[in-house]
Amino acid sequence: MGLESTAGKRGALVIALALATGISVPRLAARGEARAVVAPPPGGASAIANASTSSPKPQARSFGRSHPADPRVFRFTNGTEPEVLDPALMSAQSDGRIARGIFEGLTTEDPRTLDPLPGMATSWDISTDGLKYTFHVRHGALWTNGDAVTARDFEYSWLRVLHPDTPARYADIFYVIRNARAYKKKEIIDAQQVGIRAANDSTFVVDLATPTPYFMQLVSYYPFLPVHKATVEAFGDRWTRPEHIVTNGPFRLGVHKPNDRIELVRDPAYWDAVHVRLDRIILYATEDLSTMLNMYRAGMTDWNPSGYLPAQYVPYVRDYNDFRSGAYLGTYFYSFNVTQKPFDDVRVRRALASAVDREKIVKYLLYDSKTPWGGIVPPGFEKYPYPQGVVFDPEKGRALLAEAGFPGGKGFPKFEILFNTSQDHRKIAEAIQEMWKRELGVDVSLSNQEFASYMKATVGLQYQVARRSWIADYKDPNTFLYMLRGGDGNNRSGWTNARFDSLVTAAGAEMDPARRMRTLAGAEQIALNEMPFLPIYAYRTVELVAPYVRGWYPTALDNHPLKYLWLERVAGTGGGR
Amino acid sequence: MTRFVVRRLLSIVPTLWVIVTITFFLIRLAPGGPFVSEREIPAEAKAALSAKYGLDQPMHVQYFRYLTNVARFDFGPSYKFPSRSVREIILGALPTSLELGGLALLFALVIGIPIGAIAAMRQNSAWDHVPMGFAMLGVSIPNFVLGPLLIFVFALTLRWLPPALWGGLSHKILPVITLSAIYVAYIARLTRGGMLEVTRQDFIRTARAKGLPEWRIVVRHALRGGLLPVVSFLGPAVARAVTGAIVVEKIFAIPGVGQYFVNAAFNRDYTLVMGVVIFYAGFLILFNMIVDVMYGLLDPRVQME
Repeated sequence: MGLESTAGKRGALVIALALATGISVPRLAARGEARAVVAPPPGGASAIANASTSSPKPQARSFGRSHPADPRVFRFTNGTEPEVLDPALMSAQSDGRIARGIFEGLTTEDPRTLDPLPGMATSWDISTDGLKYTFHVRHGALWTNGDAVTARDFEYSWLRVLHPDTPARYADIFYVIRNARAYKKKEIIDAQQVGIRAANDSTFVVDLATPTPYFMQLVSYYPFLPVHKATVEAFGDRWTRPEHIVTNGPFRLGVHKPNDRIELVRDPAYWDAVHVRLDRIILYATEDLSTMLNMYRAGMTDWNPSGYLPAQYVPYVRDYNDFRSGAYLGTYFYSFNVTQKPFDDVRVRRALASAVDREKIVKYLLYDSKTPWGGIVPPGFEKYPYPQGVVFDPEKGRALLAEAGFPGGKGFPKFEILFNTSQDHRKIAEAIQEMWKRELGVDVSLSNQEFASYMKATVGLQYQVARRSWIADYKDPNTFLYMLRGGDGNNRSGWTNARFDSLVTAAGAEMDPARRMRTLAGAEQIALNEMPFLPIYAYRTVELVAPYVRGWYPTALDNHPLKYLWLERVAGTGGGR
Repeated sequence: MTRFVVRRLLSIVPTLWVIVTITFFLIRLAPGGPFVSEREIPAEAKAALSAKYGLDQPMHVQYFRYLTNVARFDFGPSYKFPSRSVREIILGALPTSLELGGLALLFALVIGIPIGAIAAMRQNSAWDHVPMGFAMLGVSIPNFVLGPLLIFVFALTLRWLPPALWGGLSHKILPVITLSAIYVAYIARLTRGGMLEVTRQDFIRTARAKGLPEWRIVVRHALRGGLLPVVSFLGPAVARAVTGAIVVEKIFAIPGVGQYFVNAAFNRDYTLVMGVVIFYAGFLILFNMIVDVMYGLLDPRVQME
């Protein structure tokens, strides 16, 4: 999954105006110590509200509204118009938000930890060898057309993702299931040989190819959501239209006005409807980041999600009490095309990596909205023994470059940094261009391409150095390393290392959690020694959440289950309008 | 007259054909394809998609198939939004684009013509210089500057109007003003120019000599002739106001056709690009034709041949 944050010139103008007049620049109010304690969400322990990792400032003013416009309606901007509402086909976080609001999988996510909670499955058993998962499907859960949700719905939906003709971008995430890959690749034709089966209406059994300790993390991901067979088969591509769609989640699809809004309406027939407090959720399809910020500022939205707040805005909003920033499992890096000289030489790659001053990039270009990071697996996995990442050491870089035959950068061929259109990508590329010139005497030019051309170049290995990023699909370090195996469609560097591949594969079958983490760390160490991927920073979320939004917690995947949200007037907050 | 209209209508067909052909091949020359995403689609699925949309066929087969479909007004499904057809997407967004463009032009006419007329009648006075100075500004300030400026003042600072979305009257004011600024300016200048030319002519002198009141000379005689340049400007202007609101639509998050135009090209959504191009081209041609007809009605010297 990729992150595209584009900040237009218009945004810069608004900020410039704000600066000139001083109107939207926050007055730095006294930072209060008090934290607002709120009622726990259903089934949870009491919690601290506004528990972002940056210090909350309940005394400060809000950048947006301080009181809900309508306490039963939650509104937010959700980026561009969703491509599809079919959970099997989608691949954007913003589309996933909608899917998780209207569909419910076997498990749901805990709003704080994202750990699996019962959803359509009331419970599940895992065999001792870690290969067999048995889900007990809830009695009485209904589709919006009145049909019961059964294990057969899951069998149909999961096999549908794996069907060779289904253009599911996330099919590979199912490959831990027995014969899933072979079925997708048409090596077997019979779907019954795939380890996905409904034993009866209430028992859903999954057989894995290898024990996959993070499998329960996968199951809550949106490609695993169920779809209604009769509806899909009756309407084909058009089954997700509001007049046809049949769903099983806490909300149903009310209105879909393309390029304008999607409205989700509370479904009173949902099994846990008593705990759903919002009547309606409005997701605006807004593309321009400045427009989104304007809407939030004017009180038209209650949440300006992360990914839609470019770094350049951070200095202007971070001192308001509705600014939230927290760890986000994602890494921003450059990849080398190791099939081209001189990047086939590990010394060259390490030399270039040593000459990048990550601290400076993050501090001066990104206003500390990210974390400088020299590794591939981002911070945030407590049990993961992080290997030593690459550090800024220009001395060492110069030595390595000389060793590789380019002392002082002499004779180093001209090459390009490829990135897709975005102000932030450009700024970083310019900084690195300058660092390589100054520290190593190496000349690099910049190549800016629009997304499709950029993708074609990276997939086809028609580049030298390219900007890349990877956001975790699930909460396990495996998500960052699995895609770097030789030949993986998301590797896109031409780098292959048999030892790395075998360690990642071995970790996938390792049942002992500590040993598994060590094995993965061993694999990452190899990748860092070989340096086909040059890490730059780890992502952080930066977003605006109105102070009256409850049940919203910073999470490592930036998921915020809509089911648990509610709005509440806050007593004693200033700046009300 | 009828023959003229029929002939012009028929000439649309070859023009559109040339446009369709050029666009069809140009968009396919752009690197990448419609099924590109940061997270790779499995090769099997990509092959299935290509087969489904006929993209695995040789180019000439695709081309002729597309032409036959278009002849039947079938523009195919959108690749990016598979639950909707291209026709549905365009027709769904069209009313918004028409409303935005129409209101902007109406506003421009209501403001621009009186300003231009007054400027012409009071040539070289402050009534002329001040509005024409503003008109100069209106022509030169791009709407991606004017829009955010208006938002900043009226939506974020004064909080009189919403900064985005398309809804009731209050939502329409800022985008309509933003979009119409350039047209107000053009129309004012064209009216002024046209009026100045007309007022120097003999029939105006005759009217004056007859002792007609000044307002009647202006409204009945000078304005009618003086508006000819405005009318010829209006055709392309309607087309441009409807099709060219891409930036305004984006700044104000308005769900018009323009938003699809740019994104479809970036997404390599071939069918949607083609659909929007055909629609835009047809719209432009149609309005140029309407202008030609109007011209004949307003100016008896123009013959329909």
